[in-house]
Amino acid sequence: MKILVCIKQGSEDGEISRFDEFALEEALVLKDRFKARVDVITAGPESAVAVIRRAFGMGADQGIHIVTRDSGFVSAFVTASYLAAAAEKGNYDLIFTGIMSQDMMQGQTGPMLAELLGLPCATGVVKNYLTPALGLVPIEREMENGCRDCLDIRLPAVLTIQAGSLLPRYPSLSNMLAAGKKSITTLAQGDLFPVPVKPKEVLITIECPEKTRAGLGLEGTLLDQARQLKAFLQEKDLV
Amino acid sequence: MKPILIIAEVMDGCIRPVTWELIAAARVIRDLIQTNRAGGKRKAAQIAVIVPAQDPVPLAREISSLTKVDVLALKVPTLVAYTSEAYKECLAPLIQELAPSHILVAHTSQGRDFAPGLAIRLNAASISGVNQIRSDGDGLLYSRPGMNNTRNMVLRPEPGFPLVLTLTPGIFLARPCQVKDPGAVMVREISFGPKQPVRMVHQKIARRENEHQALKKAHTIVAAGRGIGERSNLESVARFAKYFSASALGASRPLVDMGWIGYDHQVGITGASVAPRLYIACGISGSSQHLAGMKGSDWVVSINKHPEAPICSHADVCIVADVIDFIRVFLEQEDALQGKI
Ligand SMILES: Cc1cc2nc3c(=O)[nH]c(=O)nc-3n(C[C@H](O)[C@H](O)[C@H](O)COP(=O)(O)OP(=O)(O)OC[C@H]3O[C@@H](n4cnc5c(N)ncnc54)[C@H](O)[C@@H]3O)c2cc1C
Ligand SMILES: Nc1ncnc2c1ncn2[C@@H]1O[C@H](COP(=O)(O)O)[C@@H](O)[C@H]1O
Repeated sequence: MKILVCIKQGSEDGEISRFDEFALEEALVLKDRFKARVDVITAGPESAVAVIRRAFGMGADQGIHIVTRDSGFVSAFVTASYLAAAAEKGNYDLIFTGIMSQDMMQGQTGPMLAELLGLPCATGVVKNYLTPALGLVPIEREMENGCRDCLDIRLPAVLTIQAGSLLPRYPSLSNMLAAGKKSITTLAQGDLFPVPVKPKEVLITIECPEKTRAGLGLEGTLLDQARQLKAFLQEKDLV
Repeated sequence: MKPILIIAEVMDGCIRPVTWELIAAARVIRDLIQTNRAGGKRKAAQIAVIVPAQDPVPLAREISSLTKVDVLALKVPTLVAYTSEAYKECLAPLIQELAPSHILVAHTSQGRDFAPGLAIRLNAASISGVNQIRSDGDGLLYSRPGMNNTRNMVLRPEPGFPLVLTLTPGIFLARPCQVKDPGAVMVREISFGPKQPVRMVHQKIARRENEHQALKKAHTIVAAGRGIGERSNLESVARFAKYFSASALGASRPLVDMGWIGYDHQVGITGASVAPRLYIACGISGSSQHLAGMKGSDWVVSINKHPEAPICSHADVCIVADVIDFIRVFLEQEDALQGKI
């Protein structure tokens, strides 16, 4: 059983984007249960290699780093194309992504990667009951209003993992010591695609979201603010 | 003019109301295209809805009679329930044939699931979670959240490709009503499986009932987020909640995931949708997924350490402070006042 987890750098250096930590944890649980091999892949600048090291600390086995020069808005299609090209020959039974990245928040990279690889895909997965012997993964994906969509998916498949009750583990000392021996495959963007993949959407500008309410700021010490809040609540007849 | 297509959201054999919003958004897009074109004399783009279902005709009639829009009932005899595989397989060839400029899908658990893969099949541009559509003279621009909800990214699709959009629910509001001249209903049948190797088999939809009762009844909800720092701090938030009459304790999703508090308390797209008189967000950043569940509240107060937190744009009153310190001071002051009386 081989699992690939797509992880992206979070807002701070070396930190894994929050939802991707949950995807990695989900894979590591399967490693513990079925002796699965868990590889991680990231596309990003040189510094992104730090997230692979962190994943090694948590227990991942091997890493792939696609060194990219893209910055600002990165189209999910472009990222998915890189990941697909690198993952294609890996013979993975399962590929996990986070439900969305912290910065781009597109939730598209996973399902696009699946389509590029010709694999079935389910998003927002909160439970999986992997049965390697049957080549099947029954899953539950989250819907609105607390409902869950239950379905069986043939392997190989791509799942985007929704944060759930599994808390991502911390890197352990023994894993960190072993990390030095683990291999990282480094690929250049240009090796995968001599002709650059063109995005089909371009960023025009970045704006602050429109205010939907006044956002009256209270001033002064905590006590001053407490008094102003009380006055506001009384004025609006809320206490 | 290329048509604008809408994929209706069908669940449990019913049209989901978000479909009306997609139609409203399609009209916005059509009108923007029309005013953008020099002269504006040519015919406006046609809007059509596709309804994929086992028995789509009654649903298609419902849509056409409430909106005047033309509807294509896509009959898929084996489509017992939604799967991304079946949807992509059935929709892609039909959409290719119709060669639309836009394909509109709801940004819901269903739409988010199949739209990106569909875009790849169609060799289309794809923008998810759209919350605003406007035009700048050069064409249409689509805005969507990014950077942990602190910013909106405004994107322009490259010309020459169809565009798949998933639209955030609750933005393009619509009130459908019976019309005298309903749109046309056309029927098309497509088979899916058992010839193709079906790789996704729907089993069931598991439901939770009667949850969130306390939240729905409350006049005031005091809700805790990750900003409370520690589980034990939930107590002071709960005490703050008790200060208000007819109140309930709410929570953002991470607190529920961490097991600090039950799902009964979760507010947001995957929790409860609430609209109390007063909502106090304690250490909650204001992600779009949380906001969607509480933006209908009459009054919103935020207590957050960071003045830049997105919630500040969606609150009536913003208190920039450590939430636990603030609650302590507020309750102490109230105790003192009570003592004086
Ligand atoms: C498909 C999907 C569905 C989701 N459904 C839901 C849902 O139903 N409900 C939901 O809530 N989320 C949902 N989420 C998660 C959502 O995206 C956010 O991750 C979540 O809402 C963040 O919770 P938070 O605001 O408590 O935490 P954070 O985003 O971590 O924010 C914590 C806030 O606390 C502030 N803070 C820190 N310390 C202090 C202090 N000492 N005093 C005061 N303030 C402080 C910080 O400035 C920050 O703004 C969903 C996500 C996805 C992808
Ligand atoms: N540059 C990247 N490198 C590796 N994985 C990524 C990258 N970008 C996105 N992903 C994966 O795709 C998921 C969804 O990202 P997005 O479509 O940007 O919301 C993330 O949670 C990651 O698992």
